[in-house]
Amino acid sequence: MAKILVVDDDPDLVESVTVSLEKKNHIVIPAYGGIEGLEKAKKEKPDAIILDVMMPDKNGYEVCKELKADPVCQDIPILLLTAVASKISTTTYTHRMGMETEADDYVDKPVEPKELVRLVERLLKK
Amino acid sequence: MHILVVDDEKIIRDGSERILTKEGWKVETAENGEVGLGLLQRGGVQILLLDLMMPGIRGMEVLKKVRDDYPKLIVIVITGYATIDNAVEALKNGAYDFISKPFTPDQLRIVVRRAEDKLKLEHEAELLRRERERSLKDIAYEKSRTLTIINQMADGVLVTDKNGFLVLHNPAATRVFGLEKDSPLGKHIFDWTKSKELTQMVESVLSMGGSNPPQGMTQELGWGDPPNIFFMAHTAPVRNEEGEVLGSVTIFNDVTWFKKLDQMKSDFVEMVSHELRSPLSSVRQLIALITDRFVGEINEKQQELLNKVLARLDGLLLMINNLLDLSRIEAGGLIQQTEKIFLPEIIQSVIELITPEADKKNLHFEVTCDQQLCTIHADRQGMETICTNLLSNAVKYNQESGKVIINAQNRGEFVEIKIADTGVGISKVDLPRIFDKFFRIRTEYTRKVIGSGLGLPLVKAIIEAHLGTITVESESEKGTTFTVLLPRGI
Repeated sequence: MAKILVVDDDPDLVESVTVSLEKKNHIVIPAYGGIEGLEKAKKEKPDAIILDVMMPDKNGYEVCKELKADPVCQDIPILLLTAVASKISTTTYTHRMGMETEADDYVDKPVEPKELVRLVERLLKK
Repeated sequence: MHILVVDDEKIIRDGSERILTKEGWKVETAENGEVGLGLLQRGGVQILLLDLMMPGIRGMEVLKKVRDDYPKLIVIVITGYATIDNAVEALKNGAYDFISKPFTPDQLRIVVRRAEDKLKLEHEAELLRRERERSLKDIAYEKSRTLTIINQMADGVLVTDKNGFLVLHNPAATRVFGLEKDSPLGKHIFDWTKSKELTQMVESVLSMGGSNPPQGMTQELGWGDPPNIFFMAHTAPVRNEEGEVLGSVTIFNDVTWFKKLDQMKSDFVEMVSHELRSPLSSVRQLIALITDRFVGEINEKQQELLNKVLARLDGLLLMINNLLDLSRIEAGGLIQQTEKIFLPEIIQSVIELITPEADKKNLHFEVTCDQQLCTIHADRQGMETICTNLLSNAVKYNQESGKVIINAQNRGEFVEIKIADTGVGISKVDLPRIFDKFFRIRTEYTRKVIGSGLGLPLVKAIIEAHLGTITVESESEKGTTFTVLLPRGI
């Protein structure tokens, strides 16, 4: 059982992730924007963060960078959720951006619930 | 030849007429100066044989009149007393030659023939002079016409000498650099344009040796700080007949407007990718929660229906992705950055990606790559998109337990990739249309396969953006082979 922060501006997506993770008995803290996500990360100190890239107030790359620069949060593993157009370009694109922003893993939306659970569990082992 | 003989002695007139007519010349005669001048007025006479000693107007006066009125007429004087004085005076007055009475037919022929030679020479000289005048006029006209064309061009033109100093520019080029008053002729290209990139282009073109192919360079350049005007600059060397570089010529196309459109297009792409894909992604994830039993059991029929929904959603997502890629390519944007690429690496990673799908059909991959296969200069994402689309088609439209054969080898300046399958094939009717947007082959078989009708158009667009080609051969029920040729690039 772990405490996981899910940051996405789309409430339906947050809900689908929540359902997937709660099924595995994780506790989900939702945040509906980049700024809210940053605040909650610092306050709640989750075990892992699932972070959407495209958000209107502050995008996922920025949030990720700030978290990795923060002494309290820098060790929390981050899974980036991307929605970049093409499937194949995403791998390279996200790979590049992910490396630059020091995210621990990334996955393209939409993601199968089972796959999401698998990725989160792998993330928690780090 | 038209000759007029003016002499008061009939015997001379008749004799001369007889001798000269025999030679094939047209001869007229006059018995005195007045009649002679009258005949001259009618025109056409080229040689005048003129007796100096005649009643009425004297020959010498006729000569003076003729010299003024008919400067081109050749006059041969006939003199009764063969004195040097008379001849000299006649020559001073513009006669060409003289003959003294009495003369033999041969003497007459010789003198007239010499006059004829002179006429011919003068005629030729005149022709040459006119010819020269005309071609000079032509050149001047041609020059001004070319200049008019250059000056009217909407594209900027800059010509430099071999040291990079400006020798010609048109108003469009002047507008680009915004210096209208100061004539830039004679300035170095950098001093005028202040553009390092342009100067580099011109200098590298100027340094091309005689052995290099005569092709130029093309580059997009921005002006202003930050750049707000964009140009496509084409620079080529100007060579003489020996191939020696004499200077350079640069043409500028203003592409600012296209850049703006491009920006609008990518903004639109951004918007679409977020606004369409995000809700679809959420919908897909929510439905997957049900089908994956995260929220309780569902019956078989519900499962079946929801699987169909998921399949259609996947189709929609694929179509959006392809559409976005395609619009980016059409805006010239998919060649984001070129880098050295070793194609077998990409092929291998794509094979890994589609292996799960291939395993479902028990397909077998056969890959042969030239050991010395050259790297190519290309856009990595583009190459990945090409391979993914072609390979996943080879998997999707294959028969159970079929093969996917991939072959890559060097072909001169190109690298050739052949991707063949042992699948359903494409009929002759459909073959020409497979690269059309939204075209999908309608058969029992393809109805089951999810596709957007945008995969192959996308592949073709990327290949063409790389100046390559794609061709296809297919036989129904036997299989399809795609052959891609990509230039290795510099």
